[in-house]
Amino acid sequence: MNAHCVTDDELHAYVDGQLAPERRLFVERWLADDPDAARRAEDYRAQAALLHELFDPVLREPASGPVEELTGKLRGRMPGNDNAGPWHARSWVRMAAAVMLIIGGAGGGWLGRGAVDQSPVVQQRQTLQTFAEEATQAHRFYTSDERFQVELGADNQDELNSWLSKRVGRDVFGPDLGKVGLRLIGGRSLPTELGAGAQYMYVNEANKRVTLFVGAPRSGNPAKFGFSQNGDVATIYWVEGPLAYALAGRMSKEDLLRVAEAVYNDVKAGPRRPEPQQQNQQNQQPPQDQPPQPQQDQPPAGVQPISDTHKPKDS
Amino acid sequence: MSTFGVELEVHIASLRRYARALLRNRSDAEDLVQEALTRAVARADTFKAGTNLRAWLFTILHNVHVNQVRSKASRPDEVDVDSVESKLVTPARQEERVELREMMRALDDLPEEQRKVLLLVALEGLKYEEVAETLGVPIGTVMSRLSRAREAVRAKLANEGSVALRRVK
Repeated sequence: MNAHCVTDDELHAYVDGQLAPERRLFVERWLADDPDAARRAEDYRAQAALLHELFDPVLREPASGPVEELTGKLRGRMPGNDNAGPWHARSWVRMAAAVMLIIGGAGGGWLGRGAVDQSPVVQQRQTLQTFAEEATQAHRFYTSDERFQVELGADNQDELNSWLSKRVGRDVFGPDLGKVGLRLIGGRSLPTELGAGAQYMYVNEANKRVTLFVGAPRSGNPAKFGFSQNGDVATIYWVEGPLAYALAGRMSKEDLLRVAEAVYNDVKAGPRRPEPQQQNQQNQQPPQDQPPQPQQDQPPAGVQPISDTHKPKDS
Repeated sequence: MSTFGVELEVHIASLRRYARALLRNRSDAEDLVQEALTRAVARADTFKAGTNLRAWLFTILHNVHVNQVRSKASRPDEVDVDSVESKLVTPARQEERVELREMMRALDDLPEEQRKVLLLVALEGLKYEEVAETLGVPIGTVMSRLSRAREAVRAKLANEGSVALRRVK
């Protein structure tokens, strides 16, 4: 085993992402030459992935009342606490915590999983992952050329939202991301494995683009969410209520997480001008001061959907 | 958002996941976390700002758990129906897949000291030094328990003919 001066401990450290960087190359060379060791490393990783699959759902469960209360107490009591004030958006914080735990997981978790098998549960998860991949590809594709970035601009957001809602078959809307410096410029509908999806495109002052992909999964699986990094594009995806979201951008996961927080909060708060049918969305509380808008049934006249002329596939 | 607040929240989420994986029963796990946090609140002033919050919290949880196990062992007459039941009841639908069931079983079959190390490292991503600190054992012990745990699980999964575990990539 130690023919190449690589120890058993080092194999574990390699799998757990705790190996000194200067030893990494040695271990990788050893693994390339020793199929048994390579298989061990792979099996250890698979074990970690299974553990995550079994127990990550706990991260999405609300903590018990006493645990919540004690968390608040502890926050106030600990030295080094820089903010003892009121604690907002608890569910978001829980999700952010969960995303961080999954991102931070060494080697295992959702990050390193390839195609394992094809049981229905796995298929469902893969569908969500596929959704995230499609979101990433769509981000790449439609941010590459400004001329084709949106089908319909955001000049009239009601029009945009109701048109995309019709395509997706659910009420969707482009959240207001002004708080994180992003302006909605428009959207498009795209075929996905989950049916039609809506892509909302945002831009910041530095002309950097972020896209939010929204789709309706066939069966809701609220325990599943994750993070993927594909080249320079980072994607955070999750399921909330009846919809799946994938947020993609060329930025660090921390920055993207901040945008995801804004999306999450705004989706929770609901659209600023709710339409009647949006009440069937989970936890929607339409603002009282706005009368419901009459629902528009026909697609807006100004739409020239590019995807209609060369529909890639019937979804 | 307060960085400290999120950090604390992350660690507590991690504690809850670990407690569940260790005890496998939702209410036992929440009770364990609750008791650990109660103690953490009482001892908040012993935590030195800038030191390892995660290791501090996990150490408290571990000590509470050890005490719970000890006091349970001193009352052997009480039949713990809940824990028996929790072993019998398949907790959730995510166990539909054979390999998940096998993983769960392999985890159950591990001696507790090995199970703890495996969960802290592979599930919670603790550094080996943090695990040593948490469990109060030398790092060499952590490594040997980790190695034994992983090989035992590996043998179990292989025996069950879980070829699907072999990943394509």
